[in-house]
Amino acid sequence: MRLGVDVGGTFTDLLLHDDAAQRTYRAKTPSTPEDQSIGVAEGVRLICEKAGVAPSDISLVLHGTTVATNAVLEGKGARVGLLTTAGFEHVLHLAKSWTPGPLFGWIVMDKPDPLAALSDTRGIPERMDARGNVLTELDEATATAMIDDLCGSGIEALTISLMHSYANPAHERRLREIVQERFPDMHVSLSSDILPEFREYDRAITTVMNDYVRPIMTRYLGRIEKRLGETGVDSRLHIVRSDGGLMSAEAAAARPVHTVLSGPAGGVTATAMIARRTKLPRLLAFDMGGTSTDVSVIIDGEPTITRSTDVGYFPAKVPTLDVRSVGAGGGSIAEVSELTNSLRVGPRSAGAMPGPVAYGRGGTEPTVSDANVVLGYLPPKLLGGDMSLDLDGAREAVSKVGNPIGLSPEAAAQGILDIANEVMLGALRVITVQRGLDPRDFGIVAFGGAGPLHANAMAQVLGCYPVVVPHNPGVLSALGFLEAEFKNENVRTLIGSIAGIDDAHLFAVFRELRGQAVDWLNEEEVAEADRGLTYSVDLRYEQQGFEVTIDVPADLVESGKGLDAVLEDFHATHDRLYGVRFDLPIELVALRVVATGATPAVNEAPPSAGTTDVSEAVMETRKGFFKGEWQDTPHIDRDRLAAGARVEGPAIIRQYDTTTVLLADHHAIVDDQGNLLIWPNEKGE
Amino acid sequence: MTKDVDPIVLDLIENALLNARFEMDSVVVRVALSPVIREQHDEFPMICDPQGRMIVGQFGSYIPAIVEEYSDINEGDIFVWNDPYACKGSISHNNDWCVMMPIFHEGVHVGFSSIFGHMVDVGGKVPGSMPADAYSIWEEGLRVPPVKIYEKGVMNEGVLKIMLNNTRTPDMNRADLMALVAGCRTAAKRVQEICDRFGRETYLASCGLLLNRTREAMRVLINKYISEEPVSFTDYVDDDGVGNGPFKMQLSIYRRGDTAVFDWTGTDDQAEGPINFHIHEGLCKLFFGVYMIMAFDPKIMFNEGFYDLFEIVLPEGSLLNPKFPAALSNRLNTHTRFFDCQAGALGQKAPHLSMAAGYGTSPHFIFTGQDSNGKYFQLMELLFGGVPGRPRGDGLDGHAWWPLFSATPIEYIENYYPVVVESYRPVKDAGGAGLHRGGAGIEKTYCVLEAGSVSIHDDREVVPPWGINGGLHGGTSSKWLIRAGSDERERIKSKLDNLQVEPGDRIVFITAGSGGWGDPLERAPEKVLADVLNDLVSREKAEEDYGVVISDKNVLDSSATEKLRTSRKKERGEPAPFDFGFIPGVHAAE
Repeated sequence: MRLGVDVGGTFTDLLLHDDAAQRTYRAKTPSTPEDQSIGVAEGVRLICEKAGVAPSDISLVLHGTTVATNAVLEGKGARVGLLTTAGFEHVLHLAKSWTPGPLFGWIVMDKPDPLAALSDTRGIPERMDARGNVLTELDEATATAMIDDLCGSGIEALTISLMHSYANPAHERRLREIVQERFPDMHVSLSSDILPEFREYDRAITTVMNDYVRPIMTRYLGRIEKRLGETGVDSRLHIVRSDGGLMSAEAAAARPVHTVLSGPAGGVTATAMIARRTKLPRLLAFDMGGTSTDVSVIIDGEPTITRSTDVGYFPAKVPTLDVRSVGAGGGSIAEVSELTNSLRVGPRSAGAMPGPVAYGRGGTEPTVSDANVVLGYLPPKLLGGDMSLDLDGAREAVSKVGNPIGLSPEAAAQGILDIANEVMLGALRVITVQRGLDPRDFGIVAFGGAGPLHANAMAQVLGCYPVVVPHNPGVLSALGFLEAEFKNENVRTLIGSIAGIDDAHLFAVFRELRGQAVDWLNEEEVAEADRGLTYSVDLRYEQQGFEVTIDVPADLVESGKGLDAVLEDFHATHDRLYGVRFDLPIELVALRVVATGATPAVNEAPPSAGTTDVSEAVMETRKGFFKGEWQDTPHIDRDRLAAGARVEGPAIIRQYDTTTVLLADHHAIVDDQGNLLIWPNEKGE
Repeated sequence: MTKDVDPIVLDLIENALLNARFEMDSVVVRVALSPVIREQHDEFPMICDPQGRMIVGQFGSYIPAIVEEYSDINEGDIFVWNDPYACKGSISHNNDWCVMMPIFHEGVHVGFSSIFGHMVDVGGKVPGSMPADAYSIWEEGLRVPPVKIYEKGVMNEGVLKIMLNNTRTPDMNRADLMALVAGCRTAAKRVQEICDRFGRETYLASCGLLLNRTREAMRVLINKYISEEPVSFTDYVDDDGVGNGPFKMQLSIYRRGDTAVFDWTGTDDQAEGPINFHIHEGLCKLFFGVYMIMAFDPKIMFNEGFYDLFEIVLPEGSLLNPKFPAALSNRLNTHTRFFDCQAGALGQKAPHLSMAAGYGTSPHFIFTGQDSNGKYFQLMELLFGGVPGRPRGDGLDGHAWWPLFSATPIEYIENYYPVVVESYRPVKDAGGAGLHRGGAGIEKTYCVLEAGSVSIHDDREVVPPWGINGGLHGGTSSKWLIRAGSDERERIKSKLDNLQVEPGDRIVFITAGSGGWGDPLERAPEKVLADVLNDLVSREKAEEDYGVVISDKNVLDSSATEKLRTSRKKERGEPAPFDFGFIPGVHAAE
């Protein structure tokens, strides 16, 4: 039995899969932000009770956590010491010197303090050049004195990030030895281990970020293992990585920077899974929550991976699912600019507290959710009837922004939704058209609390059909964790013109990396049949600043024969991404071997109960605002819809954890896996 | 504006255009080859309406000046130019290559997209094409008037060949030019999609409404923050690179009805050397506008709808309106001082929203030569300095005053060029003291590994960046040469070309800091202590400028601090609105 655990800002979702009986159970319990492990343990107790199993029956716990992200975003990480090359002590302080646009953008720039304080930074006398040759020998005596001083000053972790250490890590390693001899309990991360790539600021900040969250992550993992143990769970704990793979708890404790996008990873992985099952190979994942919306692209059933992400102000160069986040969600606040009279939505959010006006928890400013209430898209009672919405309050708040610009409450509410949608469209456009992909070739999977409310409208503008609302969008992330693969990357930076690199050497490096990958698979005890190895190279035109990752077929690595096909693929990919190819020398930047260990699929029996006669599933008929007028709109109970049922829009489809808006001139069909597929009437069936 | 546009549609179009404009950036940055555009983002996109008025962008439109020369503009045409004199100062030195493309929707002209970007080299007498000692624009490289590089979709290979034949870096320029073209095409595509989605008439009407919306907001700002009584401000450019200077720039601002008048009368005559700033009047308006928006309400969409509310006086033959063929390549000093004058003048009427002066130019380091394999190399790097103290907080140390620029990674430079950077750090005590401290300049030490020649451009070596509202002035810039095997630091000029260097020679490049904002005697002593611990402020300066007493063990002495501050305040009285440090003609030069 596998257990997926997704800790969100408000709720902790759990999903238990009984591989033998092919059944899943879900549970939801309030999150405990002060110590997430409390909520997790409570959830485990709850779900075992529900499923009638003993905690010891659980064989695997797969956990996505936002502990690392939150520590960085809230500035609550550990006190990190930094050893850098003498002369570069201010590497984090000067950062990239970047300030935002337009002209004078710096007037309103907020720059957080570096993750390692300058007073906790020491410049070590040593220096490598770009080829890894020693320019200045490591002065061990001075270094030792600095280490004693720094490590004895109360720091909780130590980063060692020296110039050009990706080319030659000898000095970093020697310093670690010195630290370990004298401070055996100190957490130490080397930049040449965490990110063996050039660009000193990126490498330093990524490694420091690792140490910044490491003590917190280590303590958290310790607590959660202890609490799970107390609950009676004796299985191994695995953490979901930012790239959607799995890592052991020990690996996560050593490299927590790889978990900065652990939270959103589940939804993306689940979307990839939906792509494979629905045979819709190209999908957009659209995860709209209370304060932000995460979007990403699935191509040929696979999520796209990027090599860097931002955590608030700070860049983290780690492989992550290519998720774009925008500050628009159900709680985003709408307001009118005093000077231009334009309506603005977000990025300010009412959050969970006070939340939208309609929630009656003291919110006074209209939010996107309030606009949904005004238009009759959200029913008066939520969460299976537990929570009543203040319809009048929502309408009054929305009127407050509509009046000054001469809009009726309905028009203002529609406007708030349209503008929120436009902001989210911007994010979807970044991940599609900006990468040479046509959104009309994609469907869109809606999840998160508010995704199904907005997805139909998004599809209408972008032309991405069908809209897929999965069976239980509220626990989709946890479901994604259940199907995540074990994953580990082995990378080697090797900068040089392709023309000047000896093929034999290149393929020898590939085989060496493959050796490391296989060692890791052995350590993780991945069964032979579940193992996968993929090869890729990062290429660019000589001196270009960005690399394009190109897959290298496994048989090419076996045969060790020329790279011509790979280079042609690079030209073509560059052309597709950026609309141009150059007749310039190509440069190799890095080689990569990714090892994966497959996990068995989650098989769920499709919904057999219910009806295909939609009229039997109508709960009530209420006013809904569609195409500029109020219309009688059926509210339909999704749980009563059987596979094959067809609902005509406009309609509101309700279920325990979300509400789906089906627009006019559209229809929805329940597929045989229980997904709701929304199509425009002139398209599809 | 014949058509009514739903207010929400208008907001949607605004957002869609903003998305398109940022997409232009990302396309250019990814395709470009030179580190100046790619790593440092020295490129500026915009989208305009059919009249050539900028709807989104960050620098402002110059298109009408180009369009009036051409009667036949067709779909598929793409223009390119770089001659400041042939486009009324729409771009202001030859290094900026500008690409402009008319946008058509179903055969109807609906606007323009345009981007200019800084080329590493455009020929002329020195590598990098910005000779510090030029006496005319004839020495500053190839000048291309506005010509069609694509006509109805067909490339004019001849134009491209001529342009590339006149640069030391043809491969880079070719890629960078194609990057600019790709960015313009992206914008065109997005505008066409907006027309498809909302209707062309709606789009065109919206452009007008968006301009008008910003105009109305600006009208409010003008009436609120600009008085009928003139306010004036004077600042200086150190020198023109050929031995003249300092050069005075003087700005007076006042309001006449709804119109804001920006009068540069009193500004010195044009320089012999290349610091002249041939500025287009429209750009001038835009610079004032963007400052007012960022300082007073940064959420206002930045477009040029407010042009008719501004009146600009640029005396002919002055530093800001030079006569052909005055040399222009190092106009950034003047350009930045333009902004300093603007901040100083506007800040007087709204001290709480004012800003101090920054490092005051765009410092360049250029190193060229032939490596041991006989291959030509040309490193050009932009450096940064102190970003001003501001109402929101301290100025940033060693950051970019110019928008969206980034430092080139040192590991990148050392991978491709025969140079080792020995240290890179903020300069101690270079940030002007203030309630909000000014940013510090940077000190970067280069050691060259091959023989070659070095060029340097910088300013604020003589006249420091001023502080405001009681804040003190920031540190000045300086450059030093240390010959291989020597320990002697030899001062070299901040504007210089073709300094011959040998392997092992070192250049120490120090940029200016920035002025402080607000009374330093009011700054929290803990913050001053933190600056001391971070090696940004010395204990001596902490006491002298901030009245904060810190022991040699770096412990704060609160009671001594309080006492010292009280007596300092009594001695000083109310702080002065500005602190200049050195005023040419008033103070004696060092």
